[in-house]
Amino acid sequence: MTACYALNPADLPALLTVWRKNAAVLYPCKEEGDAARLADYEPLMPVSLDYGNLSMPAVDILNGYQDVLFHWNGNERTYEARPGTEDGRPTVLFGIRPCDVAALSYLDEFYLGEYADLNYSRRREALTVVAVNCTQPGRTCFCAATQTGPFARSGYDLLLTPDGDTCWVECATARGEALIAQGAPFFRSVPTADLKARQLMLEEQCRAAFPPLPDMSDARNALLRGFHHPLWDELTPTCIACTGCTAVCPTCTCFQFNEERLSPTSGRRVRVKDSCQAPGFTRNAGGHNPRSKAGAVRHRIMDKLVYIEDRFGKKGCVGCGRCIGVCPADIDIREIVSRITADCPDDGGTPPVFISERMPRRADPQLYTPQPARIVSINDETPDIRRYVVRYTDEHLAETFRLSGQFFMVTVFGVGEVALSIPFGDQHGGEFEFCVKKVGKVTSALAALKPGDIIGLRGPYGKGFPYRSFTGRDVLIVGSGVGLAPVRTIIVRLLQERERYGRIAIIASATSYEGIVYKDDLRRWAAVPGVDVRYALARPTDAVAAHVGYINDLLPELGFDWADSRAILCASPRRIKLVSRDLLQLGMHPAHIYTSLETHMRCGVGKCGHCKVGSHYMCLDGPVFTYEEMLQLPEEF
Amino acid sequence: MAGLATSFGSGAMTNPFDDLEASDCLLVVGSNTTVAHPMVGMRLMRRKRTGGRLIVVDPRRTTLAELADIHLRLRPGTDVPLFNGLMRIIHESGWHKQDFIEARTENFPALLEAIAPWTPEATESVTGVPRDLLFRAAEAYATAAASSIIYCLGITQHRCGVNNVRVLADLAMLCGQIGRPGTGVNPLRGQNNVQGSCDMGGLPDYYPGYQKVDDPEVRATFARAWNRPQPTTPGLTSLEMMEALHRGSLKAMIILGENPVVSDPDASHVKAALGKAEFLLCIDIFPTPTTELAHLTLPGASFAESDGTFTNSERRVQRVRQALPPLAGRSNSRIIQDLSCRMGYAMPPDSPAAVFDEMCALTPSLRGMSHTRLDRESLCWPCPDKDHPGTPMLHKDHFVRGKGLFAGLAHTPPAELPDADYPLLLNTGMGHSHYLTGTMTRRCPMLEREMPHLVADMHPDDAKALGLREGSRIRLNSRRGSVAARAHLTDTVPQGTVFAPLHFAEAPINALTIAERDPVSKTPEFKICAVNIEKV
Repeated sequence: MTACYALNPADLPALLTVWRKNAAVLYPCKEEGDAARLADYEPLMPVSLDYGNLSMPAVDILNGYQDVLFHWNGNERTYEARPGTEDGRPTVLFGIRPCDVAALSYLDEFYLGEYADLNYSRRREALTVVAVNCTQPGRTCFCAATQTGPFARSGYDLLLTPDGDTCWVECATARGEALIAQGAPFFRSVPTADLKARQLMLEEQCRAAFPPLPDMSDARNALLRGFHHPLWDELTPTCIACTGCTAVCPTCTCFQFNEERLSPTSGRRVRVKDSCQAPGFTRNAGGHNPRSKAGAVRHRIMDKLVYIEDRFGKKGCVGCGRCIGVCPADIDIREIVSRITADCPDDGGTPPVFISERMPRRADPQLYTPQPARIVSINDETPDIRRYVVRYTDEHLAETFRLSGQFFMVTVFGVGEVALSIPFGDQHGGEFEFCVKKVGKVTSALAALKPGDIIGLRGPYGKGFPYRSFTGRDVLIVGSGVGLAPVRTIIVRLLQERERYGRIAIIASATSYEGIVYKDDLRRWAAVPGVDVRYALARPTDAVAAHVGYINDLLPELGFDWADSRAILCASPRRIKLVSRDLLQLGMHPAHIYTSLETHMRCGVGKCGHCKVGSHYMCLDGPVFTYEEMLQLPEEF
Repeated sequence: MAGLATSFGSGAMTNPFDDLEASDCLLVVGSNTTVAHPMVGMRLMRRKRTGGRLIVVDPRRTTLAELADIHLRLRPGTDVPLFNGLMRIIHESGWHKQDFIEARTENFPALLEAIAPWTPEATESVTGVPRDLLFRAAEAYATAAASSIIYCLGITQHRCGVNNVRVLADLAMLCGQIGRPGTGVNPLRGQNNVQGSCDMGGLPDYYPGYQKVDDPEVRATFARAWNRPQPTTPGLTSLEMMEALHRGSLKAMIILGENPVVSDPDASHVKAALGKAEFLLCIDIFPTPTTELAHLTLPGASFAESDGTFTNSERRVQRVRQALPPLAGRSNSRIIQDLSCRMGYAMPPDSPAAVFDEMCALTPSLRGMSHTRLDRESLCWPCPDKDHPGTPMLHKDHFVRGKGLFAGLAHTPPAELPDADYPLLLNTGMGHSHYLTGTMTRRCPMLEREMPHLVADMHPDDAKALGLREGSRIRLNSRRGSVAARAHLTDTVPQGTVFAPLHFAEAPINALTIAERDPVSKTPEFKICAVNIEKV
């Protein structure tokens, strides 16, 4: 569909003025030096193609700076929430560089795949991309190394190549044709061969003007080999977590939810750009941060050059060099790649990274909008853990729900949202139960609610335990503290079809007996034939026969057929490792040990980035992983 | 301000920021630069990477200290002994610049007398800094081609803050490390426009441009310009005003954009003082614990709604342009003009440019500036006429006061040191995600997430002795007050010391600090008081 034209650059103001009749036109407004920023075009303002790069990437246009996800109205008893998406205004994005065009193609893959992000997709659909090839590299540019420039190959509607008094125009799509048609008098048709020949020459000239660039062809494997390279610890003290690098990155998409109360009875949830370089990004409500500062610096580089490409098959770093330019500590992704590639040569054994299959695309108009649900009852399970029974106010929703997931996102309107696993399911006529430990802002707000009050639910999300595949085998379930909550559903289902499985052992552990959840359930389960319920406590108790000591001590005496058994472990990562080590020694296979890694999930649908560990989103690919899979993840959960 | 003004004749940064990258040796004292002044921190880190030497003087092992070639981890409050000790080593080793001292300074014998007792042994025993580090630091600073001193509130917020500054000025003069590119004594200002407020005469003893209130000629000039007789004595500092309110000699107060209930030392005393005001008017953009005490609060204008100039640490006057009209209806200057008119002094509703012109006309060091000129370029004062390019570097051929004045000072120990009842030393400062009392930054969810509550840094050994773990809930008590916090265990603070930031109105660390002040500058001793910690 490629059609080729030439244009006189002096006509650009007139052309943009014409386009502006049908759409908003964003153009590169020159600032100090050769920097430029995207600005709304006003008729006949000067347009120059002689700018370095846009100081801020186009991703901000598509994300929206403060994107309203939903509005709510109501009080404790009646809430309604409606999506905040507006239709995108038709926009011509004039003048983005090939690096940002390459970034757009990743953004499309990221936002529109799996759970499609409606806010992005509406803005994206309204966008016509007019890209401009680069004839001169900027100071920190390295797109020639990432193979995303200096000339664009795809992803644009129109592509301009400045060439002195001429500007070559390549039209790639019907949208591009529409722009050509609107500005017909300005375009002169030219033979494709002329344009291609000239482009080839100009691109070669530009490539020759680059300073020496690192060879990034093996960057992925080298970085995986260099995961523990001392460089990461050397860089760390210089990083002041200013988050400039992620603010200017054209492929950075992470966001945080902000709750905005507009009045006592209304509010909205907006998303704002977040940064993995801020310590609070992965710190959980209890104050623990699974990712160290060095880990955060490394995560950004690894994400751009390893994780994104592994998951999406697209470049995560497009070589725009903006992060290098803004870094007060001169942290330079090019230098990092050079040094690690030199220090970690291919030794024939690249660590395997397992890439789980991505889900097919799903379009959910309510993606970020919770559905109201009423609290039916509240029970105290332990001194600090409460059990909430809830029911959708729209009863119809419960019928249509297939409880295939593992957790819900639970909203307290005006306060925030938290991921809670589903301990009990659809058998109770549309009622769900959540077990909540009061640790942070949202769980504290939940603790203040009463039966009859309304909360919001999104979900269920995530992959559950494949308990059906346990048929005919012995099953061990270990729950430490509130860790028993995510597996309660499984226990109930296993017991409903008791005859399908071999022996079942349940080990509940806590510091003291008071800390055990589902005390009554555990007693009842213990009475079922072939079910062995044990307690591992740090402090002795008179309430039940309990082992005072570690979970591990109880394993040998279960007498399972370990080589063919299945195990589910819900505990701290450290405890999971210690128990797994013993299970492996007893003869279990690491692919038969399941665990739930519910780590700082915020959006639940693989978009906000908080739960990304390596190339995995805990919320999409997990939270259930086998021990074998868990060992392949970077230790940041 | 007062310290440098006495030694050199001007209280501002002697050299511009860009100059730091021309320095061969950077001596950073009492400044957590990468957190509090990241753009300066950036230059320091860059210079270090390109081969400059970095010496950090701080009781805490800050990020910058981790990167430093030499970290002098002195006991809090022993700055004068430390620098006297360094100067003695320099003088004994012959690293001082005799010709510079003779040509450009006076009162040198007083310095020699003051440093004489500070043998390396004596210095080590008082400051806790090992002798070999003292020698290395002295040699690095004195013998580098260009050495620069950068300091911040870790120097000034002591009862001997002025002395601390003067001893740094002594060091620079002794080594001739001033008046050339890459040298100088450079205070970093706490906020974007502290320098501008001081320049404008926001000090009780100065008119704009540091013209003394007690100079009759100056008074006459301002009396003519403003058509009103001028008071013959200096006014009160903010803490003196609080005391005057307490005593009843001051009846009313206007507070514009300040939150003294949280930011001043000994918060309960401040609250009591403001409570005694017959009339308290606050002008602010958000409600604060201070506006809660006001009889009337007027909605002020933020930086984005303001038009005028800001002056940064390097004395650079820059335009700030209004991005949106004041949401509440009036700019801060308009509020003042209207108030003044109603109070019987007709202050015309002039534009910010006209106000600036008036200021420049009355201030010799700004006389060459105007909004028109600043629209094209930023300028460092002094800029005495329209063609003057501004003065990025002060004291080039001679000091502003003529000859540099050596001080030669003795040690003043902190007012309140740990004892049996309050065994820990509290050091206060800033965290990286909040600004001052947090009235603005704590309203930003992203920043609030980074630092949602008061966290006190304490040494793991101190924590262990108290049975505390990471995140333990604690209570910090001093003789004046008590706040709740959580413990963060880190060996970046020395044993026996607790560090806590001041940002939290619900846990105001200044409920604990002492109202002891420097006798000259009246700056409070925020950096040192004695506390104890209990587990909650």
